[in-house]
Amino acid sequence: MTATIPYYVSRVVLAVALGALLVMTGSPWWAGSLIGALALAWFLWAPYSGRYVVRPHGRAMPLRRDERAESINNKAARNAFVLTMLVLGAVTVYYGISGLAAVPLPVLKGVLILGAVIYVTSDFWLRRGE
Amino acid sequence: MILHTRLKEIRLQRSLTQEALARAAGVTRQTIISIEKQKFVPSVKLAMQLAAVLDSPVDRVFWLESGQGGKS
Repeated sequence: MTATIPYYVSRVVLAVALGALLVMTGSPWWAGSLIGALALAWFLWAPYSGRYVVRPHGRAMPLRRDERAESINNKAARNAFVLTMLVLGAVTVYYGISGLAAVPLPVLKGVLILGAVIYVTSDFWLRRGE
Repeated sequence: MILHTRLKEIRLQRSLTQEALARAAGVTRQTIISIEKQKFVPSVKLAMQLAAVLDSPVDRVFWLESGQGGKS
């Protein structure tokens, strides 16, 4: 248990930093607190999730993917990258044909969020399938 | 070609749980489950690690459908 203390301490610091960063960049305090709390919950759950191999003496970095998790991660990342690029290309062509000057920033943000959703969905689906 | 395995059979002969085998081979229990269900094909390195943990020749633990290897 004491071997994993550096992991938990470092993750509390990361979660607080993430929440603070969101607040400093204009998010409401409750949104920063919520995201920080969710990040901390994820970090606390991760060693028990079965997604990672836990190295007792890994200090602040005790979690590691094994080859199956690595393979799933690679496939999910590839799916997200390819689909995000296709959507980005389609959006660019659409705005080009429409004669508009540039793709609006909210649309680009939407494409990035879509990419993240595709990654998480692919990851979940591939784990479920195996 | 399909890679077949008798990982589960040999693991049970050695009275090992999936968790114990996973820990000894340095992978997650989910990986052992996937290999036993033949849904995940391990690398040569992992196949050899598993065979070593089970103290069994690798071609007894894994073999190809074509019949090559030690399916005895």
